[in-house]
Amino acid sequence: MPHEPRYAMAVDLERCTGCHACSVACKAENEVPLGHFRTKVYYYDEGKYPQVRRWFLPTLCMQCADAPCLKACPTDSIARGDDGIVRINVQTCNGNGRCEEACPYGAIYVDPLRHVADKCDFCSHRLPLGMAPACVETCPSEALVFGDANDPESRVSRFHARYDAELEVLKPDSQADPQVRYRGLKRELEGKLPQGRNHDPRSYEIDSWATLQSEFKSGREENRE
Amino acid sequence: MSSSSKRRDETPNEAEGCHRGPAVARRDFVKSGIAALASLAVGETIRLTPGEASERAPARQADARVPHDYAKASQVPSVCLNCSTVCGIVGYVIDDRVVKLAGNPLDPNNGRTICAKGQAGVCINDYPERLLYPLARVGRRGEGLWKRIAWDEAYAQLAERINKCLAEGTPEQVAMHYGRSRISDVIERFMNAIGSPVILNHRALCSLNKRAANYASIGDADWETVDAERTKYLLNFGSNFYEAHQGHIHFLKRVIRGRFDNGAKLVTFDVRLSNTAGRSDEWFAPFPGTEGAIALAMARVMMTAGEFDRDFVSRWVNVSVEELKRFLEPYSPEWAEARSGVPARDIDRVALEFARCRPACAAFTNRGSHAHYNGFNNDRAVVLLNALAGSIGQPGGYCYGPGARIDPAEFPPPEPAPPKPARRTDLEDPPEYPLANLWQKMKVGELAYDFIQRRRALVQVYLTYTLGSPTTWPEGRSLTVAVLRDERLIPFHACSDIVYSETAHYADLILPDAAYLERWGLDTRNSYEFRPYVALRQPMTAPPGECVSFADVLIELGRRLGPETARYFAFGNHADYVRHQCKKIPAGDCANGFEYMQRHGVWSDPTRPVSRSEFARELTVAELQGARTDEATGVIYQQAADGAERSMGIWIDGAPRRGFRTPSRKFEVVSSTVIEQAANAGLEDDGWPRYTPIPAHEDLPPDRLILTTFKWNVHTQARTAPQKYLSEIVHDNPLWINSETARRLGLRSGDLVEVTTYRPKGNTYRATGEKLGSERIRVFVTEGIHPRVAAVSNSLGQRFGGRAAIAHRGPSAEGPAFDERILSDDPDLAQMLWWDAEEGGSGAGYNLNGIMPIQPAPLTGMQCWFDTVCSLRKA
Repeated sequence: MPHEPRYAMAVDLERCTGCHACSVACKAENEVPLGHFRTKVYYYDEGKYPQVRRWFLPTLCMQCADAPCLKACPTDSIARGDDGIVRINVQTCNGNGRCEEACPYGAIYVDPLRHVADKCDFCSHRLPLGMAPACVETCPSEALVFGDANDPESRVSRFHARYDAELEVLKPDSQADPQVRYRGLKRELEGKLPQGRNHDPRSYEIDSWATLQSEFKSGREENRE
Repeated sequence: MSSSSKRRDETPNEAEGCHRGPAVARRDFVKSGIAALASLAVGETIRLTPGEASERAPARQADARVPHDYAKASQVPSVCLNCSTVCGIVGYVIDDRVVKLAGNPLDPNNGRTICAKGQAGVCINDYPERLLYPLARVGRRGEGLWKRIAWDEAYAQLAERINKCLAEGTPEQVAMHYGRSRISDVIERFMNAIGSPVILNHRALCSLNKRAANYASIGDADWETVDAERTKYLLNFGSNFYEAHQGHIHFLKRVIRGRFDNGAKLVTFDVRLSNTAGRSDEWFAPFPGTEGAIALAMARVMMTAGEFDRDFVSRWVNVSVEELKRFLEPYSPEWAEARSGVPARDIDRVALEFARCRPACAAFTNRGSHAHYNGFNNDRAVVLLNALAGSIGQPGGYCYGPGARIDPAEFPPPEPAPPKPARRTDLEDPPEYPLANLWQKMKVGELAYDFIQRRRALVQVYLTYTLGSPTTWPEGRSLTVAVLRDERLIPFHACSDIVYSETAHYADLILPDAAYLERWGLDTRNSYEFRPYVALRQPMTAPPGECVSFADVLIELGRRLGPETARYFAFGNHADYVRHQCKKIPAGDCANGFEYMQRHGVWSDPTRPVSRSEFARELTVAELQGARTDEATGVIYQQAADGAERSMGIWIDGAPRRGFRTPSRKFEVVSSTVIEQAANAGLEDDGWPRYTPIPAHEDLPPDRLILTTFKWNVHTQARTAPQKYLSEIVHDNPLWINSETARRLGLRSGDLVEVTTYRPKGNTYRATGEKLGSERIRVFVTEGIHPRVAAVSNSLGQRFGGRAAIAHRGPSAEGPAFDERILSDDPDLAQMLWWDAEEGGSGAGYNLNGIMPIQPAPLTGMQCWFDTVCSLRKA
């Protein structure tokens, strides 16, 4: 009898080329409104000329085992399935935004047009058809590793087995037990992740590449100062 | 940050092109804006200027999002064209809408993966600002006043203008100018049919020097195909293949495997910290245009240390080991350090590391090394490193060959095909640049507008397609626009485009094109699996409104011009043309080859051997029929169909072999072609790939910088800015300067500077060194750039193309119309576009091409994009 799948994602940052294919595929797949993100790629330029290096960090929902969003939801609209995916029930979600405030990873937004919360669910609508999440399918450098962690032969299981000792999670002290694991993580990039709100669209503006800030003012706000 | 720094600095020198000025006073009889155009009848007039607010149907209601139901989707294989890499794709179509794109797993190069640009293709299909009807200019050119006309009238106008040229015996006064069309076969057929040789392209702005260097060295003018998956060492001179490059992700994904699954090292030379440089094992920033000096020094290191493939050099290189050593003698690492700034010890070390990985190593280039005055020889010097390493055609080495283009013999177009025109003009064949058109038609496109202005060639009819010359050409918003708007110089301009672009704005007739997801074509690229393949571009949906693909426009126009041309277009439409091209493709599991292509999208002959090169292949008895050998050189000659005798092979090791397609059939360090062509142009050149400094960079005053340009991983020239998911990521392009430069000038990130550019020196166009122009731009202070370099990206600073391109949130301000499928506005563009400068965003960026001088490199005509001398002043 086939076992129940438990979906898992790992990111091999050594291979990542910062190409944004994952985040654009995600936008197209899930029609994520401009200015809001299920997944986002961060850049960080480190060092002094001529010793400079560029780091990338693709982010998404960490499908936390102890998900703060789930606990914060007043309408019980968020659940973690046996398959390891944290999902939002859009039928009962009223867009109150507590989940977005609770998320340590900037992974949730409240859709301003539809007034419901939304986040990465590993493209749950694709999985029954045997299709990988849109980001994973398109990743040119094979940096995104996805599969059924209950199947020892899956890509993600083999990746976990091969690199187990090297794998880390983002913000391990978040007490959320995040499940997406990274290889080659540049820990400083955590500083770019927003706390309690969705990824800021301005956090990829080029002026921010050499910074580790997560808070941005709009040009209009700056102009008022 | 100061308030002025974040706000977009309006450029005052373009009267009608400002981002969004006050609404233009409307005349009563003139309709305006998109909502009006939706109901615009044939014969009615409309004003379309950027920046004009108008009303249109309200944005779609925000219903609960329903995930794509892939069980209901039809899958249509096709070929991407959001850049020139042309990846095989599959479109998922639900209710006549392309909801998602993915890579075609059958494509040998990209498989299931496509890049961000490829993924963004869905933005085009139901883009609310698509051109939908033919439009004829009503007011002054560039005023933006248009009348909707029927296609019959559009064809009649085109036919009248073209037939006038034909009747006057001046077919060459019909000029065709296109960018990345991927229908050049149909374009050429049309131009041949009317007898005009004037087909202008963009190669001199792109890859000319690289192709010329490959051609001079190995006789193959296409891009090399590095076997990156199997390599151990990659020496990259100025390619940013992590973000762009022809063969972008085809190459990239194999480099990633080579590096992280096969242990290859990647060393990059680039003046700017591209993503490629930023993720290489080592990054060196040479002074611009000194890559050839570094490569020659590396060659010297390899030969001095004896770390080179003596067998290969002795057999296959057209000079002896001793001659080569003598030639390289002056080029020591210390000498190269003095020119490039790259430490001699690093040049020495990297050269030996590279050499010791031979033959599984490859040195390769792109514009960083070749878009220079001396770029042709820079690239020849880099290619030479592969010859020394004996890596040419080896697993893990520098490979070339199969399948870079559609071979008419294998994929025959319908008969009869028109003959090539005998006449020539300076416009498409400038005699000053003899290497430009020697093997492929490269033209020297950056000179086209100057030549038209100086009437070195007369143009009566100017046809443009996939051409964004006002923003992508050097001297774009200056000379280019001045010529485009001058009705005496260009009496008639018809533009085919999918959006109301800056090129279309200066046209007399706008022909609404089908987007690449809505049209036909056979396509291919050099195969990184080293076996040629062909892919089919086919419509995933019908084009909206009255859009017609430009190929079909030309075919229909060819039929309407008269019986002399019509006979070349009797085959039907573009689909019929492509069907004919597929007739030799095996039917496989389908009724015929065309249907096979429609179902699978990609075909490759599995019986054909994998081929990383062809030079060592032994010639067959059949191939040697009627051949003769020159005893002195061993070169084998054969009479071609035209009666001329050409070399076709060479005796090496007692066997007749294919050899390189150079005159000597060897790898040519000394190029007889260069000697001959230079002499024809009155230039002196001894044929060796010598390093020559860039004249404008000699004795450079300390306050002068070199202005360079670059591409983003999410944009392709002028064509992607309208795609919201791409412009959301990159919409702004401040000028990169090094922190040391910033300190000297008292600048901080966000400050405005005035950048002033100077014309080139030496043997090139208007080589006066004089000031060309100035623009104001915000700076970005970074550690990731050479201190003597300033860098600005292309692709941005658009003034046309819709709200995503010009960074305007709100009801649509431009763009001619929608049909029932594009019924309502896009709430993203109307309500969510956050980078609008008026709404506190950073805006649509800058386009500095107006002050980028036209500077064709000697011999080849390659635009020297990365040579421009500039100065900066705090504004």
